Amino acid sequence: MAKPVKKKPSNSRFVGTIVLVAVVGVAVLGYAVSRPRAGVKPVDPSLAAGTAEGYLVGNADAPVQVIEFGDFECPACGQWATLTEPDVRERLINTGLVSFRFYDFPLDMHKNTWPASNAVACAADQGKFLDMHDRVFATQDRWNGEATNNPKKVFLQLAAESGIDTAKWEDCFDTQQHYPRIKANLQEGVRRGIGQTPTFIIGTKMIPGNIPFDEFRKYVDAAAAEAAQAAKATPSKP
Amino acid sequence: MTRRMLVAVLALGGVFLAAYLTLYHYGYVGSLACGTGGCEKVQGSRWANFLGVPVALWGTGYYMSVFAVATAGSLGPWVERRWPSGALVFLNGWGVLFSAYLTWAEVARIHAICRYCVVSAGLVVVLFSLSLLDLRDYRRAPK
Repeated sequence: MAKPVKKKPSNSRFVGTIVLVAVVGVAVLGYAVSRPRAGVKPVDPSLAAGTAEGYLVGNADAPVQVIEFGDFECPACGQWATLTEPDVRERLINTGLVSFRFYDFPLDMHKNTWPASNAVACAADQGKFLDMHDRVFATQDRWNGEATNNPKKVFLQLAAESGIDTAKWEDCFDTQQHYPRIKANLQEGVRRGIGQTPTFIIGTKMIPGNIPFDEFRKYVDAAAAEAAQAAKATPSKP
Repeated sequence: MTRRMLVAVLALGGVFLAAYLTLYHYGYVGSLACGTGGCEKVQGSRWANFLGVPVALWGTGYYMSVFAVATAGSLGPWVERRWPSGALVFLNGWGVLFSAYLTWAEVARIHAICRYCVVSAGLVVVLFSLSLLDLRDYRRAPK
């Protein structure tokens, strides 16, 4: 015969356990809400922000405008840059459909990301943004915060491999002359509510994360359709 | 402790887990991060909302309902009644189905796994199993 269900259980023990779980839960939530949030890297407050300016890749007047907020030391950004971005360039940017802008968004969890942004900015001065961008992302494991305290050595080597005038590059890198611009790009990301890297703004949509090409393409197609619709709706001048 | 009581205690834990994820969704906790973390990707995806409401908020409501029914069925006049067991099986059955749908979305659509969601899915399965056992016991019990 089956056992009867109820032998009087202890209510006080039950209530005590509930109270204990509630106290622990409230304490954990309270701690999570009140602790200082890891945010963007604190930079010298006296450093004036420059003008936010992304690096343009492709035709500025392309029908679909894409912005990436990326961190050079972020592995997810590195994966996207090395695995997905080549397809994006070949099939969307080079065909004239997409105009792509990269904005620095250096996160405080990454020790060498500011020098990396600076290294790429100095290469961009010599017309080598894409080359250096690709090399820096592809070699994250050689210069990231876990690998070295002196990333400049690696960046200098990458700059030389890119065919950059290394003396000029070094002068630019050492004087940190692009830090105001990097800070401005970061502030632009904060203003737009960027919460992680990489984050893409494709047309009117913000898409966080290392998204695969097919998904990226889907958003681009939707933005292109929106742009076409908007162009139709705008009456043409006589 | 009875199975209903255990369900109430676990559901209360679930309330706090889902509340944390709700706060995360609205930006009150968590941090700016490099998108290697599955939670950032999952919370940032379109699957993070259901019928216009954050999934984490649905989860909070679900766990609170389970907690309320299990607590009511563990104390006072409803201890001997069978309906709380049926209600818990119903609620947690929906919980299992919804968790299965979300896990499918993570694996097949978002391609990222959020560890908090995995913990919640496991918790829901445990709650459902306990509710089934509780219902079985009440069915077998002499009237």
